[in-house]
Amino acid sequence: MTGAAPPRVKITYCAECGYEGQTLELARALMLEFGSRLSAIELIPWDSGTFDVSVAGQLVHSMRREGGFPDYEEIKKAVRAHLTA
Amino acid sequence: MTIDRARFEQGLTYAAFKAQMTRNLDRVEENERRVELRPEDVAAFRGLPRPVNVVVLAEDWCGDVIANLPVLGRIAQESGRLNVRVFLRDQNDDIMQRYLNQGKYKSIPVFVFLDESFRELGHWIERPASVTELRAERRREIFAAHPEFGAPDASVDQLPEDVRGRLQAELQKMRDDTTSFANAEVIREIRDLVTRVAA
Repeated sequence: MTGAAPPRVKITYCAECGYEGQTLELARALMLEFGSRLSAIELIPWDSGTFDVSVAGQLVHSMRREGGFPDYEEIKKAVRAHLTA
Repeated sequence: MTIDRARFEQGLTYAAFKAQMTRNLDRVEENERRVELRPEDVAAFRGLPRPVNVVVLAEDWCGDVIANLPVLGRIAQESGRLNVRVFLRDQNDDIMQRYLNQGKYKSIPVFVFLDESFRELGHWIERPASVTELRAERRREIFAAHPEFGAPDASVDQLPEDVRGRLQAELQKMRDDTTSFANAEVIREIRDLVTRVAA
């Protein structure tokens, strides 16, 4: 690892679609996996069926683009890639 | 899966559904107050030859439930011809599986209209297509008028927090401005469906 700056992960979720469970589950998975190697996990309540995840400003999952919820391993992989870049 | 009288009676009355809500009750009651039922709409429902049983799938977190269930509730209250029973979607997946939107989405609310023998007369899902179309058009207009909001399909997480807040406010205003149209469309669609099949 080269000491890349800890990334901020943003999870934008539809707050009118019952997605709180998936949002918290993903946030918890990232907390347990990366701890203080993340600068922050930001949860953004939105609407319109949104479930977007970005890592250090890069959109790595969009429900509108990919369909469905993300595979948490794919999100973790994106975080690891940033940390080791 | 069939719904018989015994299963139907297991559902919550509209009042009982509201009583068990853990959030958004204020929004539901505000929407109830905003529903404008025309005398001819009430008369059409009152003119039904027999009461209609209505199975509703709902959850209290859902924006479309908060918007549209109060419309059905007001029609039921003012006509006295709809027996409404609400089933929580996530506790009644056998019913939900029968009414998936486009065969795959668990969209709510779902209103299933049943005759006195619990034979299905028809069903209604989520919101009128005309409302979806109008709001999509208004949304495009908002983004066109405000370049600072970025592209309509881009993730909002890249917007500065103050800009995101302004976008949220614009979208909420747009939804408020189109509520009267939306409520009228819900009434029209339910009235057309029920009076066509139950007359």
